[in-house]
Amino acid sequence: MNTLRQYDLAFNALGDPTRRAIFEKLEKGPLSVVHIAEGLSVTRPAVSQHLKVLREAKLISMEKEGVRNIYRVDQDGLRTIHEYLERFWDDALDNFKRLAEQAENQKLKNQKQ
Amino acid sequence: MSLTTIKKEVLVEAAQEIAFNVFTQKIDMWWPRTYHIGKCPMVESVLEQKHGGRWFTRHEDGSEANVGYIMVWDPYQQVILAWQIDGHYQYDPKLITELEVNFIPVGTGRTRVTLEHRDLQKLMGGPKDIEGMDGGWGMIMERYKGVADAA
Repeated sequence: MNTLRQYDLAFNALGDPTRRAIFEKLEKGPLSVVHIAEGLSVTRPAVSQHLKVLREAKLISMEKEGVRNIYRVDQDGLRTIHEYLERFWDDALDNFKRLAEQAENQKLKNQKQ
Repeated sequence: MSLTTIKKEVLVEAAQEIAFNVFTQKIDMWWPRTYHIGKCPMVESVLEQKHGGRWFTRHEDGSEANVGYIMVWDPYQQVILAWQIDGHYQYDPKLITELEVNFIPVGTGRTRVTLEHRDLQKLMGGPKDIEGMDGGWGMIMERYKGVADAA
């Protein structure tokens, strides 16, 4: 699946208020279905359906721990943002360094005159 | 390495005051042009030089796009900016991720500049409605790759 399509899925998945609430809960840490459903005014089967949509959008992942399924935020999404900002700041600081050193040289030149 | 924090450091052959001024006053000149959130090409990136000052970009059609604001203004040692652009490249006034920049003198005419962009997990989740789809993170990534590949 291409990246753009994946993002469309993610946007759609988060377009629903219940799914957004679930995702925000999981951002604080991994949880089982029971704990995810706590405080939500929807049935357990509905919660499971929402979890399925979030998983398909690769926003969350699931792991079996004993008899329980534990859901957590998928780190790939975070990794993408991290990589993007890493490159952004590398580019930005390269530019900044060049500019600051030009300004320093200019100051030194002016002092000599 | 933490995925929720970005840490960068650069040693600059310039005095602390100059490094600080270039970073804050000339943000327009070092900010990579391909990264912005306005609807049309960016004309300049502006940082208001004071505590609480706005941080925004101006665009060809005269519009402005908010990026964040100055949380700590301490010339020439430190500036902490609030970065309020989410993972889908949308401005969100409720979102605050901290960008701390320190300017540490190293002897004369040299400055170590450290940058830390924290709480990147807050950038996830993204727009509150489906309209955020155009100009979203994926689009920016594609565009970025285009530019990087062409270079």
